[in-house]
Amino acid sequence: DEEFDELCFEFGLELDEITSEKDIISKEKGEEKAKGASDVVLYKIDVPANRYDLLCMEGLVRGLQVFKERINLPRYEKIIPAEGEGQRLIITEQTAQVRPHAVAAVLRNITFTKDRYDSFIDLQEKLHQNICRKRALVAIGTHDLDTITGPFTYTAKAPSEIKFKPLNQSQEYTASQIMDLYRTDSHLRHYLPLIENKPRYPVIYDSNGVVLSMPPIINGDHTKITLNTRNVFIECTGTDITKAKIVLDIIVTMFSEYCEKPFTVEAVEVVYPNGKTHIYPELAYRTEKVKPEYINKKVGISETPSSLAKLLTRMCLKSHVTGNGNHLEVEIPPTRADIIHACDIVEDAAIAYGYNNIQMLIPKTYTIANQLPLNKLAELLRLDLAAAGFTEALTFALCSQEDIADKLRTDISATNAVRIANPKTAEFQVARTTLIPGLLKTIAANRKMPLPLKLFEISDIVVKDPNTDVGARNYRHLCAIYYNKSPGFEIIHGLLDRVMQVLEVPPNEENGYTIKAAEGTAFFPGRCAEVFAKGQSIGKLGVVHPDVITKFELTMPCSVLEINIEPFV
Amino acid sequence: FTEMPTDNFVESSFWNFDALFQPQQHPARDQHDTFFLLDPAEAPQLPPGYWSKVKKVHSQGGYSSQGYRYEWKVEEAKKNLLRTHTTSASARALFQLARQEKFSPVKYFSIDRVFRNESLDATHLAEFHQVEGLVADRGLTLGHLMGVLRQFFSKLGISQLRFKPAYNPYTEPSMEVFSYHEGLKKWVEVGNSGVFRP
Repeated sequence: DEEFDELCFEFGLELDEITSEKDIISKEKGEEKAKGASDVVLYKIDVPANRYDLLCMEGLVRGLQVFKERINLPRYEKIIPAEGEGQRLIITEQTAQVRPHAVAAVLRNITFTKDRYDSFIDLQEKLHQNICRKRALVAIGTHDLDTITGPFTYTAKAPSEIKFKPLNQSQEYTASQIMDLYRTDSHLRHYLPLIENKPRYPVIYDSNGVVLSMPPIINGDHTKITLNTRNVFIECTGTDITKAKIVLDIIVTMFSEYCEKPFTVEAVEVVYPNGKTHIYPELAYRTEKVKPEYINKKVGISETPSSLAKLLTRMCLKSHVTGNGNHLEVEIPPTRADIIHACDIVEDAAIAYGYNNIQMLIPKTYTIANQLPLNKLAELLRLDLAAAGFTEALTFALCSQEDIADKLRTDISATNAVRIANPKTAEFQVARTTLIPGLLKTIAANRKMPLPLKLFEISDIVVKDPNTDVGARNYRHLCAIYYNKSPGFEIIHGLLDRVMQVLEVPPNEENGYTIKAAEGTAFFPGRCAEVFAKGQSIGKLGVVHPDVITKFELTMPCSVLEINIEPFV
Repeated sequence: FTEMPTDNFVESSFWNFDALFQPQQHPARDQHDTFFLLDPAEAPQLPPGYWSKVKKVHSQGGYSSQGYRYEWKVEEAKKNLLRTHTTSASARALFQLARQEKFSPVKYFSIDRVFRNESLDATHLAEFHQVEGLVADRGLTLGHLMGVLRQFFSKLGISQLRFKPAYNPYTEPSMEVFSYHEGLKKWVEVGNSGVFRP
C-alpha cells in the first residue's frame, strides 16, 4: 500500500482513501447492510482535472506502467474503411440552433466483460461530469452497431415528432413525454433544461428510422450495449467541437485495447450540412520540438538530451534526440490533450525526474522590500488601540442585508452596498459597508464576559464606486466600541483623541481634526458627532440608538466610533 | 518581499480567471463555488488592449501555446465577483510590472481575504485569508521555487517538506507542498505553488 501511495505521489495523483466496498456500505448504511459485500481492497484516487486519460482503470494503469517502464506506449491507429464500406453520420442544418457539432467512431470486434463494461459506462459518466460540463458542452452516446444500420442522420425535430423507447423503459414515448418522465429522476433531471425550451430537440436516427439517442438526455433502448456486443458505434454531440473531438479520442484510445486488433479504431465519415466531409476520430499525433537546455533551465537540473528523452517517454510523450544532439522531438499522443505548450512538456520531464530529486536553490534576486503604506498604518494603529485597552476582533466581511440596513435603522438603498447574486445562506447577502454590525454581533456572542467590553477592528469595508474599473472599492475603516452599564461616550471620544494624537493630527479646524454635532440613524439623537479631518468627513462617533442595541440582541448601552483611515496614509 | 496592494474584494472575472488562463467553462467559475455579484454585476472597464490579447490566447493560442480553442466571451469576463484567490492581485501587479519601461526583478507578497461560495463546516469557511508570494526574475527554475518554499516554511517551524506534482490552470509545472504532521502522523498539504505559464 505504501509503495502505491509513493507511486501516486510521484506521478501526481492523490491516493485519497484505501477502503473496500464493505467499508463504504458500513459507513453509509451501517454494519448490518455491509455483511456479504466485497472485502476486496479499493483505492480511491484523485486525478488532476486536466488529465482525461487517467479517468478510467485502463488509462490509469497504462499511464503508470509506461511511467514504470513496464510497457511501451501503445500506438493508436485509425483504420479508414474502403470506399462505401465505412459508416457515415450525416448532420442536417436543423441541429445548428440547438447542438451543432457531432463526431463519431466505431470500435470493431470488441470483447466486453462485466468489469470492462462497467468501466466503459463509468468513463462516460466521468467525462460527462468533467470536460463535458455536465453534458452541456458534449454528450456521449454508445450503441450496439449490430442492432442498427447506417448511414446515420443527426438532426433536430419538434418534440412531438420524436418517438422512441428510452433506455431501460418498456414502452415508447414522445420527446415531450420523456421530459415529463424524467423530471423526477435524480440523475437525469439536471440535463432536461439543456434542450427543454428549444423548438427542436436533437435526435439521431439510423437509415431505418430507429432512434439511437436524443442527446443529451438519453439513448434508445434498441441500441443498448450488452456484454455480448461486438461492435460499438460511438457518437459525441455538443456545442464545443474541440471538446467533442477530445472526448471521442479519449474513449476510443482507452477501450480500443479490447478490440480484436488492439488499439485500432474504425473511422466514421461525418457529412456536414454544406456537403463537406470529415473523418473522425482525428487521433492526431502532434510533434513539438523542444530544446533540452530549455527543459534543464526551467527545472533546475542538468540532464543529457537522451536521458531527457527517456524521461519524457516514461510520461507517455515519446521523444528522441534529433539535430546534432541539441533538439528533442516530442510526440504528443491524442490522449494528452493537456499538453498545449512547451511548459507542459517541462512539467512532465520534471515529474519523471522526480520533484523531490531536484536540488533546492535560493534565487539570487536582490530586492529592497516595502510594506504597503496602508497596511503599515493599520498595523501601527492596531498596536496603539490595543495599548489603550481595546481588544481586537476579526469579523466576516459578508453579512446579511438587515445587518447593515434595517438593524441600523436605515434603508438598504442608502448604503450603496455591493450585493451578491448567489449567496448560499442569508448571512452572506451583501458585503459590509460598515464595521459596526460585526462588532455588535461579536459582543452579542460574548455577553457572558465581564463588563466593560471594549472591542475594535481595523479592516476593509466595500462600497460601490463607479470610478473604479470593477465598479466597487474597499475602504480601510477603524471601528471601536464600548459596551457597559453606561454608554461611555467620553471613553470613545478619548479614544478618538488618542488615535489623532498618535497620527500627529492636531485638534484644530485648519490643519487638524474637529468634531461637530450631527444626526446618525444608528445613533442616539443628540449624542452623535461627525469627525472631520483633512478637509473631509471621515466618520462618526456617538452613543448607539437603543433600537439598534435591541435589534442586535443586546441589553446594555454602548458607544461607537468609526472612521476611515485612508486619508492618513 | 514587497507587499502588493490587495484592497479590493470585488474583482472582475477577467482578473480573477481569464488573465490567469482559467477557461471560461472551468467548474470553479460555477455558481456553486464563486460569489457572483448582483450589484454591480459587471465591471465597467477592462484594460484596453490587454483583454483582446487574453481573448486570443484562450481561443487561438499564442506565445507558443495551442490555447484552449473555444469561443471566448467578453461578457463572461466582465462578470463581477468576490475574489476567490489573491492571485488576481498578483496578476494586476505583474501587469503593472510588464508596463514598466525596463524590467526589474521583484519579489512580492500579500496576505488578505478571499471568498468562496462553500457551505461552512469544521474545515471550510466562506471567507478566509491567503498568503501569497511571487518572485519574478530571469533564469528562475523549479529548484528555486522549492528553495524559497523551504526557507519560508522553515521560518514557520515546518522543516520536513515533500513536493507533489499538481495542476493549476495558470502554472505549469505546479506543485503541492506537503509537510509531515507529527500529531496526525501523516503528510498534510500546506501549500500550492507553481511556475507561471509563459
